[in-house]
Amino acid sequence: MISAENFPEYNVPGVVKHDFHPYESNGGSVVAIAGDDYAVIAADTRLSSGYSIHTRKQNKLFKLSGTTVLGSTGCWCDTLALTSLISARMKMYHYLHQKVMPTNAISQMLSIIMYHKRFFPYYVSNILAGLDADGKGVVYSYDPIGHCELASYRAGGSAGALLQPVLDNQIGLKNQENVAKDPIPKEKAISVIVDTFISAAERDIYTGDGVIINVITKDGIETRNVSLRKD
Amino acid sequence: MLPFNNGFASPLWHNGPIPGGLYNFPGHNGPASQPKKDYGVQRASQPITTGTSVVGLKFDGGVVIAADNLVSYGSMARFQDVQRVFNINNKTVVGAGGDFADFQCIKRYIDQKIIDDMCYADEYEMKPKSLYNWLTRILYTKRSKFEPLWVDIVVGGVEDGVPFLGHVDLRGRSYQDDVIATGFGKHLALPLLRERTETGKPIGRDEAIALVKKCMEVLFYRDCRASPNFTISVCTKEKAEILGPFKVSQNWELAKSVEGY
Amino acid sequence: MSILAYNGGCVVAMRGKDCVAIATDHRFGVQGQTIDTNFQKVFQINPQMFLGLVGLQTDILTVKDRLAFRKNLYEVRENREMTPERFAAMLSSFLYERRFGPYFVEPVVAGLDPKTSKPFICNMDLIGCPNAPDDFVVAGTCAEQLYGMCETLWKPDLEPEQLFEVIAQSMINAFDRDAISGWGATVYIIEKDKITVKTLKTRMD
Repeated sequence: MISAENFPEYNVPGVVKHDFHPYESNGGSVVAIAGDDYAVIAADTRLSSGYSIHTRKQNKLFKLSGTTVLGSTGCWCDTLALTSLISARMKMYHYLHQKVMPTNAISQMLSIIMYHKRFFPYYVSNILAGLDADGKGVVYSYDPIGHCELASYRAGGSAGALLQPVLDNQIGLKNQENVAKDPIPKEKAISVIVDTFISAAERDIYTGDGVIINVITKDGIETRNVSLRKD
Repeated sequence: MLPFNNGFASPLWHNGPIPGGLYNFPGHNGPASQPKKDYGVQRASQPITTGTSVVGLKFDGGVVIAADNLVSYGSMARFQDVQRVFNINNKTVVGAGGDFADFQCIKRYIDQKIIDDMCYADEYEMKPKSLYNWLTRILYTKRSKFEPLWVDIVVGGVEDGVPFLGHVDLRGRSYQDDVIATGFGKHLALPLLRERTETGKPIGRDEAIALVKKCMEVLFYRDCRASPNFTISVCTKEKAEILGPFKVSQNWELAKSVEGY
Repeated sequence: MSILAYNGGCVVAMRGKDCVAIATDHRFGVQGQTIDTNFQKVFQINPQMFLGLVGLQTDILTVKDRLAFRKNLYEVRENREMTPERFAAMLSSFLYERRFGPYFVEPVVAGLDPKTSKPFICNMDLIGCPNAPDDFVVAGTCAEQLYGMCETLWKPDLEPEQLFEVIAQSMINAFDRDAISGWGATVYIIEKDKITVKTLKTRMD
C-alpha cells in the first residue's frame, strides 16, 4: 500500500495529514437582551448544513438553571458535547455546594470550559443570558475559544453581523439624537428581537423556520414561539 | 482531575468518568492515548463499503425506517442482499447508511450490550433515546480523535408510548424530527415526506408504510447507488417488526418519453 | 484577505417615493491603517444620477474615469442624456470585458430617469452581474451589517425626509460595527427637482 509512512524522506516530521473535517457549520442565530429585571434570549430553530435543512424545529436554547439560559449555535455536534458537559458540571456544583450555580459563576465556568479546548476548540458561538444575584438581567457573549464579555444586548451566530447593528440602534439607542435613554421595557425588547429575526431570515439562509424566545424573570422562564419564513 | 480536592475531602468523582473527557472506544477504560509515530499518522478516513439513503418517518403510535439492501464498493453494487435496518429490541430500531463495516463494528457492541442487559434479568431493555444518545457520544468521541466512524444512523422506536425518531452522523451531530432521511434521500425523499407531515393530519401505520415505499421507489429510479430491493422496519408500542424484502416494481416505459437529452 | 476589502468602505442606495438616496462613508485606508478620512466613493455622473464604487481604491478611480469617458462618448454620439438603466447596462458590460482579470470594485448606481423621473437603483458584483431590486442595494466591507439594518428600517414609499433618516441610520449603525468603514458619511437625496447633499458626523474610530 502506498502511504506516507513508506516514504519517510518525503515526510515533514510532526506533520499530521487529515482529510476528514471534524467541523461542520450548522447555522443558526441567537439574540439576547438584558433589562433591569429581566433577560430575553432567542434563537432560530433551523438546523442546516450547506444547502440542506436537517430539521426546522431544533431548539438551540439550553436552560441551565432557573435563572440562566444558554444559546449556542455553530457546529451542532460541539454544541451538544458542550451543553451536556455543562449540565454535568452544573450537577457536580449543586451536589458539592448544595446550591444552584449562579449566573456569574456559570459565565466564568463556560469561559474556562471553552478555553480548555483552546487548540481543538468547540466551534460554537455562545450567548448566555440570565439574572444576576440582584435579580438584574445580564448577557454574556463568547468567542469559540472562551473569550467572555458582559454586555446588555448581543447578537451571535450566522446572522450575528446582520443583527448586531440593529440592536445597537434600537436597544443601545446609538446614533440617535434627542431620545430619552430610558430602560427598555420587556415587551419592547421582545418585539425588537422578533423584528430582527424576521429581517435576518430575509437575507441569511441559515436563519429561519421559527424563533424560540425565553423570557427570564424572577418568576421563572417563559417560552414563546414565533414562526419565520421557511425558504 | 478537577480542582475539587482541597486536601480535606476526597475528590467528589473519585474513579468516576471525567465530564468532557475522551475515552477509548471500543473497549478500554482510561484516558485516550494515541500511538506515537515519528512521521505522524495516516488514517483511512474515507468510507469504503457504503450503504446509501435511509428513510425514517414517525406515524401515529410508531415509527417506520426503510433502507435498500445494497452495500456498494465505490460504484460497484458489491453486496446485493444485505439488510440495513435492524430491530435492536421490541422498542428500538435502527437504519444504517455510510460505511457498513463501521456500522457492523458499532452493531456488535450494541448486540453485546443487549446480551448483558438480558443477563441481569431485570426486565430492563435499551430504550431508543439511550441508544441515540450513546451513539451520539461514541461518534463524537471518534471524530474528536480524527478517527471517524463514517456512518449515518437513523434511530427509531417507541419510548413510554411516544414514538421517537433521531439521526446521528459521523461527527456526532444529532437531531430528532418527525421525518428523517440520509444521503440522497435528503434531497429526494425528504420533500415527499415533509409534504405529507406538514399537513398536520395524523398518519396511520399503513399510510406511513406506503409513503416510505414510494420514497424507496423514487430513490431507486434516481439514486445510482440504490437497489430495487429494500427492507422496512416498523416499530409500534406493541412490537418491532421487519417487513420485506420488497422489490420496486420497475417500469422503464417512462424512459421512452424522456426527451431532450 | 480579499482585495475587495483592502481599502475598506461601503455604499448603500435606497428607493423612496419618487426619489432615491445613495450614501457613502469617508474612509480610505490600507488594511488597518487609515490614510484619508474624506474619500468619497460616490460620484455624480449626470444631473440626476450617481455612481458609488467600493473596493480597491485604484480601481475605483480607474472605473469612474473610464465610465465617464464612455458615457460622454454615448451622449455626444446620441445627443441625449443617458438614463440610469442604460448606464448600469454599460457598466455591466464594461466590467464583464474584464471577466478573467476584473476591476476589484462593486458598483452601485442610483438615479432618476431624466425624462420620466422614475427611480432606479442597481448594484453588481465585480464582473458585472446586475441586480436592480425595488427596495435597496448595499456594497462594501459591512454589506452584512447593511443588509440587517436596511431590512429592518426600510419600508415602501418613504418620503425624501424619511428616506434620509432611514439611509443615514442604516449606514451609520452598520459601519460602526465594521473596523474599516466609517469616519463620516455623505448622503445624497435625489428628487425630481433637487438634490440634497448632507454630510454626517460620526464616531471616528
